[in-house]
Amino acid sequence: MKIVNRLLEKGFKIITMAFGLVLAFFIVVLLLGIVTHTTPQALLESLVSEEIRFAIRLSLITSVISTLFCILVSVPAAYALARYDFTGKTVLNTILDMPLALPPLVAGVGLLILFGTTSFGKGLSAYGIQFIFTPQGIILAQFFVNMPFMFRVMRSTFQGINPRYEYVAQTLGSTEGGAFWRVTLPMARNGLMAGSIITWCRGIGEFGAALMVAGSTRMQTETLPISLYLNMSTGELPLAIAAATILIVISIVSLFIFEKFSGFARVF
Amino acid sequence: MIRIENISKNMGEFFLKNVSLDVSVGEYLMILGPTGAGKTILLETIAGIYPPDKGKIYLNDRDITGLPPRKRNIGMVYQDFMLFPHLNVEKNIKYGMRSKKYSKQEVTEKVNKLADLLGISHLLNRHPGTLSGGEKQRIAIARALIMEPEVLLLDEPLSALDSETRAKLRKELRRIHSFTQTTMIHVTHSFDEAFLLGSRMAIMHNGEIVQAGKPIDVFRKPNSRLVAEFLGVTNVFKGESIINNGNSYINVDGLKITSTTARDGQIYASIRPEDIHVSLEPILSSARNSFQGEIQEISDAGMVLRITVDVGILFVAAITRRSFLDMGLKDGTKVFLTFKAADVHVF
Repeated sequence: MKIVNRLLEKGFKIITMAFGLVLAFFIVVLLLGIVTHTTPQALLESLVSEEIRFAIRLSLITSVISTLFCILVSVPAAYALARYDFTGKTVLNTILDMPLALPPLVAGVGLLILFGTTSFGKGLSAYGIQFIFTPQGIILAQFFVNMPFMFRVMRSTFQGINPRYEYVAQTLGSTEGGAFWRVTLPMARNGLMAGSIITWCRGIGEFGAALMVAGSTRMQTETLPISLYLNMSTGELPLAIAAATILIVISIVSLFIFEKFSGFARVF
Repeated sequence: MIRIENISKNMGEFFLKNVSLDVSVGEYLMILGPTGAGKTILLETIAGIYPPDKGKIYLNDRDITGLPPRKRNIGMVYQDFMLFPHLNVEKNIKYGMRSKKYSKQEVTEKVNKLADLLGISHLLNRHPGTLSGGEKQRIAIARALIMEPEVLLLDEPLSALDSETRAKLRKELRRIHSFTQTTMIHVTHSFDEAFLLGSRMAIMHNGEIVQAGKPIDVFRKPNSRLVAEFLGVTNVFKGESIINNGNSYINVDGLKITSTTARDGQIYASIRPEDIHVSLEPILSSARNSFQGEIQEISDAGMVLRITVDVGILFVAAITRRSFLDMGLKDGTKVFLTFKAADVHVF
């Protein structure tokens, strides 16, 4: 017994580290498995095929636009919840975090019902704002699902900035909005960058909600994840692998950029 | 010039209770109080950051209670400087100039003049992150002064600095005050600061102003036990120190106190009551200060008694109950007070 205890004590560091290493190994093997599944030649050919090029373009456009909307809406909301005290603040915080816990498919169903079947949705489409089975629907789905990420990063960023910077700015002639624009927002730059990267990266990978709202029509609402899904189900393996490879590369690059900027902004 | 009438503000942990203050033009008011007394909220309320729950604030007889900070012309300097980290020193200083109608050239002239006054001309292109505490605080002061505020609020501006820098900047503040004649309200928890800078002093405790007056008067005649206990030091005298043969002789209303200070001129001296030895006969010792006087007052504080003795000026000495009884002291008894030159604290 004594010997086992001593071994356990000495080995504790080694055992815990082993868990970490095995986990890392598992992840690397898995990713390499995807990338090396087809020949490099087939991969290259697929990467430049018209379908994948379309998917890349659509993914980039929708994710950039949805990220911009996330910034536009989350920044003021996060500021309010970081700075002001009001009744119902806790409830509001919880509701705004809600989409984070919600399965994207459920979010997608909700969006589909709201924009497809209600008079609100029908009114919008009467004005030509059509979300169902369109790229706009992809943007909407990405926005709804990823908004909490931007919101949370910005809220903790603003909480980390002493409000006295704004007080001083106000004694120096700034309005509240002016102090925000000239002092707080520039000071929140790193958080804003980190939040944008993670929101954008998740937008690129958004599948479930987008599938519900925009469907999966080849060369129409075919983003990279949709392309991966379509080509897997039809057996076009090289195209599927190509889409997956691009998604992996984007994830790795985004992760590095995110780590660089997220020094003081914490997501969770 | 600035009149605060019955201001109350409840911010949970910190609060103000019926605070009234009257500050005249060009005055240097010190607000002294322990941590949590509500000093910072008082300044922030004067600056207009929060509206008070109750009460009024007047600036030059104009009611400014409801005005936003930017329309008050009141400057603010914080303990932690609050320099905008994304702007260089020059841009920090001229931040407020955007709201004023000056030409670019006039702004540059103003910045240069102030940078000269505060000795920070060589730092204009640097970023705040690379500067020392003393440098940062000079920049924060310059940034507030460029607005030509009618009142400058200083929230423990010297507390975050090392002692040498603090002493330097304290002199600087005095110089700036005499140069600009700006009305200043300076919050601190340091007695020395309050004495050296304040033309008047207000003691704050638990959100209330408990006493206000000239520093020397407040120290010598605390109006409550609370103030006396907070101030701690009882024997505080204003006098003139003359250095002779390496010794300092402090003339306090004709009484000559010997001290070991190297300073001369107008100074304050204080002696802790515990450092004063009380005896019925003169005692021979190395202590160089010995005075005879009559006991005026005896106050009982448990194991230790405090006796007030008039030796020309009033001294308070602390003695144990045991020696008090042994000597059979009572009002009017003639006693000798003896203390060492090294125990005279000069500031």
